[in-house]
Amino acid sequence: MNHTAPTYSADFATAAASRLSRAGFLCGVVGLAVAIGLGLAEGDHMRHFWLSYLIAFAFVLTLGVGGLFFVLIQHITGAKWSVTVRRQAEFAIGTIPFLAFLALPLLVPLFSHEGVEEFGGLLWSWVHPHGDHAALITSKVPFLNVNFFVGRFVGYFLIWSLMARYFKNASIEQDKTGEHELTVRMRTRSALCLIVLALTYSFAAFDLLMSTDPAWFSTIFGVYLFGASFLAIHCFLVLSTLYYQRQGHLKKMVTIEHYHDLGKLMLAFTIFWAYIAFSQYMLYWYGNIPEETAWYLIRITSPWTNWSWIEPIGHFFIPFLGILSRHIKRKPPLLGFWAFYILVVHYIDLYWLVAPNLYPDTVPFNGVEVFALIGVVGLFLWKYGQQAKKHSLLAHRDPLISDCLAFQNY
Amino acid sequence: MAKYANVNELSDSQLDNLLEPPALVQNAETFHDITESVCSIAEADRMPRSWYVLFTLALCFLGVLGAMIFHLFTTGVGVWGNNQPVAWGFPIVNFVFWVGIGHAGTLISAVLYLFRQGWRTGINRFSEAMTIFAVCCAGLFPAIHVGRVWVIYWVFPIPNQMDMWPNFRSPLLWDVFAVGTYFTVSLLFWYMGMVPDLATQRDRAKTKLRQFLYGIFALGWNGSNRHWHRYERAYLLLAALATPLVLSVHSVVSFDFAVAQIPGWHTTIFPPYFVAGAIFSGFAMVLTLSIPARALFNFKHIITMRHIELMCKVIMCTGMLVGYAYAMEFFMAWYSGNRYEGFTFVNRAFGPYAWAYWTMVSCNVISPQIFWFKRARRCIPLIFVISIFVNIGMWFERFVITVTSLNRDFLPSSWNYFSPTIVDVLTLAGSFGLFFTLFLLFCRWLPQVAISEVKNVMPSAHPHGNHGEVNHD
Amino acid sequence: MTNQTSIHGILAEFDSVDGILHAAEKVKQEGYRKWDCHTPFPVHGLDGAMGIRQTRLPWLVLVMGFAGCSGGILLQWWTNAHDYVYRISGKPDWSLPANIPVAFEMTILFAALTAFFSMWILNGFPRWYSPLFRAKCFTRATDDRFVLAIDARDDLFGEETRKLLESLSPSTIEMIEAPIEDGKIPLKLKGILGIALTLLLLPPAMIANARFTKSTQPRVHIVPNMDTQVTHRGQEASDFFADGQAMRLPISGTYAQEDDRLIGEQVGFWTGKENGAYLSSIPMDVTPEFEDRGRARFGIYCSACHAVNGSGQGTVHLRAQELLSKTWVGPTDLRTDAIKQQAPGQLFESISNGIRNMPSYSSQIPAADRWAIVQYLKESL
Repeated sequence: MNHTAPTYSADFATAAASRLSRAGFLCGVVGLAVAIGLGLAEGDHMRHFWLSYLIAFAFVLTLGVGGLFFVLIQHITGAKWSVTVRRQAEFAIGTIPFLAFLALPLLVPLFSHEGVEEFGGLLWSWVHPHGDHAALITSKVPFLNVNFFVGRFVGYFLIWSLMARYFKNASIEQDKTGEHELTVRMRTRSALCLIVLALTYSFAAFDLLMSTDPAWFSTIFGVYLFGASFLAIHCFLVLSTLYYQRQGHLKKMVTIEHYHDLGKLMLAFTIFWAYIAFSQYMLYWYGNIPEETAWYLIRITSPWTNWSWIEPIGHFFIPFLGILSRHIKRKPPLLGFWAFYILVVHYIDLYWLVAPNLYPDTVPFNGVEVFALIGVVGLFLWKYGQQAKKHSLLAHRDPLISDCLAFQNY
Repeated sequence: MAKYANVNELSDSQLDNLLEPPALVQNAETFHDITESVCSIAEADRMPRSWYVLFTLALCFLGVLGAMIFHLFTTGVGVWGNNQPVAWGFPIVNFVFWVGIGHAGTLISAVLYLFRQGWRTGINRFSEAMTIFAVCCAGLFPAIHVGRVWVIYWVFPIPNQMDMWPNFRSPLLWDVFAVGTYFTVSLLFWYMGMVPDLATQRDRAKTKLRQFLYGIFALGWNGSNRHWHRYERAYLLLAALATPLVLSVHSVVSFDFAVAQIPGWHTTIFPPYFVAGAIFSGFAMVLTLSIPARALFNFKHIITMRHIELMCKVIMCTGMLVGYAYAMEFFMAWYSGNRYEGFTFVNRAFGPYAWAYWTMVSCNVISPQIFWFKRARRCIPLIFVISIFVNIGMWFERFVITVTSLNRDFLPSSWNYFSPTIVDVLTLAGSFGLFFTLFLLFCRWLPQVAISEVKNVMPSAHPHGNHGEVNHD
Repeated sequence: MTNQTSIHGILAEFDSVDGILHAAEKVKQEGYRKWDCHTPFPVHGLDGAMGIRQTRLPWLVLVMGFAGCSGGILLQWWTNAHDYVYRISGKPDWSLPANIPVAFEMTILFAALTAFFSMWILNGFPRWYSPLFRAKCFTRATDDRFVLAIDARDDLFGEETRKLLESLSPSTIEMIEAPIEDGKIPLKLKGILGIALTLLLLPPAMIANARFTKSTQPRVHIVPNMDTQVTHRGQEASDFFADGQAMRLPISGTYAQEDDRLIGEQVGFWTGKENGAYLSSIPMDVTPEFEDRGRARFGIYCSACHAVNGSGQGTVHLRAQELLSKTWVGPTDLRTDAIKQQAPGQLFESISNGIRNMPSYSSQIPAADRWAIVQYLKESL
């Protein structure tokens, strides 16, 4: 196949990455500071701030773990199209240990005694079961208790960090040695890792987001978050590639064909997300069982009604029509616009999953959310950029790279 | 590594080198070899003896099916075991089973096409045919189980003597549209793919009758590139349409259960869970069919070990997805705090149908685990056996879902044990007769492999000036 | 049948993909318009070499997909929420979430049918005849050879064409000659098709005839299904009786089985009235068990409207006030004098036959229990 395989050189984007990580750090610190300030000013034991922080954290978690899914799936399918963008996803997964640190502040609302009488817990009301559903929630105590909760998160991050480190380091080592064995090994190991990742991520979804309404449950919730994360990582890769290309990197390595493929997957997972979201909604709507519909009832009644309409229209119809055409998928700046748009509605979706549970009667969205998001995403980009300073932006000695550049879309 | 090496001779370490996968077509030098391999079967005066044996057997089972249906129509639905509380018995289990099997064909044809997986070309014609015949068998069951079959046309939104319309809120009606659309689109896709191959057979036909028949269905195809251009575009569009369709069809089938309120049925993960299960059982059936076929019709150089191994991996993957769904359901049964849901899962494992449940678990979750081992993925007899186990397991999965949840739901005074009647069992067996009769006829008269598509993935199909390697893997 | 032939074009056969690609580029360069390549599979890059424009097919499919989606929604709205409204299972009349699956399937169906049929139509199929089939080398065009064919109707067709093709080193060159009468459907076949089509029109014609004409014979009814019965339906006409009605009143002197109770000694027990006057006392033994029974039965049947304490503020009343406030008349307060002073027989009659908004309870409550309730009303409420 490759009798005279062309070789490619590494692409170190030190300057561009430094710029990114510096900007990220700045936004991170300032954003969080302002958010904390605004949160304190609200005088609600920082509950609003913690909600904003939770969602912002969930947002970057979907990028980090979404990246992990991306890397694993590219390996297990032996995909060739993604080789030249995969390193960026590997940088994304490289932030996972840092995300564990970003998770630490959430211990504050978890262990806090504030708001316990009123809500049962600042974010997770099962910390101190009270009210109408007290008996039901108490029955879940073997799972929903603070120690096991923290223990589970320690477990999740440990497992994810180990996986992330392995796949990132193996890929980076291939830059030096070019060994085919590394690819083969990554392929074989990705299988078991995917199984473990699927299970741990589902439970992380239950813990982090679903248990903010401990009386509610949905078996598809893990798949929902997977769909949203996988969509988000593709959008992120489009934007990241656009950034680096604008700074003069990856010019011939990531072509219109790759953008087209990313676009196709963005379309596919927009549809997939909508399919999962609709399944969940329609089944609960149809069965009309109060313990299941209560969650949706808050969301479709005022004041959350308009926000809920954003989901089918803004998260499905608009991007679906937007990226349907192959002409748009083959114009990187346009695709970048849609990638950004989808990340915005992705945030809105994550917010919608949790906020109505904590604030059924008001939509608390204001500057606290915006600055918390800027803050956390800034810190994420900081860590993300730092890695690009040290390693090549291109997996230039990946054995599949020639095939990656050779394919053409129909 | 030699391009055309016989993969059975490669050592394990060479096969391990997944980066240089064996060629998609083995031992074939030219395009003409492909044409010869595939067309010679339909052109032969006689089929191999086993074909006649299998066909006779299939016809017998078909006869049994016919007899059972006649008995059903003349006597009534009471000849089945359906009763309160298990009002849905074998018919719906069989329906879901057959529809599920059909999904692999569309996945191979459409989804793998979108993913530019060249290996699909060896098996796509075969599996598309399997899809169509499986959907025929599937459609049979809802049609005959309605009781008053003579008014079955009431399910269609056409003006009828009652001045009433069907109930579009019912998932059973969604099934009508979903399975109907699925059958139509699969048929169109299959036929469209066959036209160039029928043209090939027309051009090779030795008798006037064959030339006429193949010619009619080939519509006069002459390989014009201007035609290929639109053809390829339409093919891509159909593939892109068939992909969400295949997801939707089994999701709609899962809605039959999931929209109800019964514990064990009403759970949101059903749609993707059913789709994964469908692909799981479908690929198993493709293996069950292609392993004997490639031996019988000398296709081992087209349906190679690589194809077989990849299908085993797909089975593993979808089997894991099904296992994931089991785990989620199980966890939520406890987490929800709903004691009916919790009871249902305990009942499945330890109640009166525990035998069905453990059959399902061992066939679906445990038996495919053997494919973690390379040796297992290359051992043809083992793969054949496991593929049958998987289908048994998937049939039992639908059985467990349907029967255990109905047999013991909210009110203990309604609990009752369901037993199938001999008519139930013979109808199920007979449906295999329908499937295999149609399939063996397909093997006899139609091109079993997508000739033009296979040629397209051979190295000699790629121009050498432009860009060297074209990614078809 | 004339033996005249005409030249339809010229073919050049190549045995490799590179050969045909190169040839196509050259032919395009020379400016030929009416020509084509015939290959056993779609050759990558040939579209570009031939200068083929992108087809409009995808737009058609998109439009029809939308048509399918809106058609599906419209269909379901019109049939289930407008023409014959299905007010069932507690769902709104127009249940959009439940309509999505069918709408989705119809989108796919319309789009797929469009992709399929418009592809064939735009390509001009079916075209069972082509002069190309006369060429000897053409049979391998669907096997392993690549054929370039230039149509004789092209402006540039001539001697140069052959020279051009020869310069491309094909494996064969062939002129396509075909009889002039070629490709025309023979008269015999036309006749047969004509007759067949006419015969095909017969069944619809027969159906139309049956549909719009009258007949004295009943319709062919394959599955009896107890659809036609000898019995008469209400409001039907009948020749047998003088007044033409199929419905008859019972003959005079007929009385219902229960009427024994209405004319016998027990009439007071069964109706609460004797000789036109309400009973003033309860015609049963009043024991503590009897009273308990009355209380219990009151609680079961009456308290929903009248409330447990008889005030008339039962849950039905409260709910009805919410829903029907202006038009609702509440249940009677049973503790008032008006009720207390009523004769037991009258109370019994009210329960048995209903009064104002209250329905009859005689089918639900046996007579003895009704008296027990009356006892409860009188003594304990």
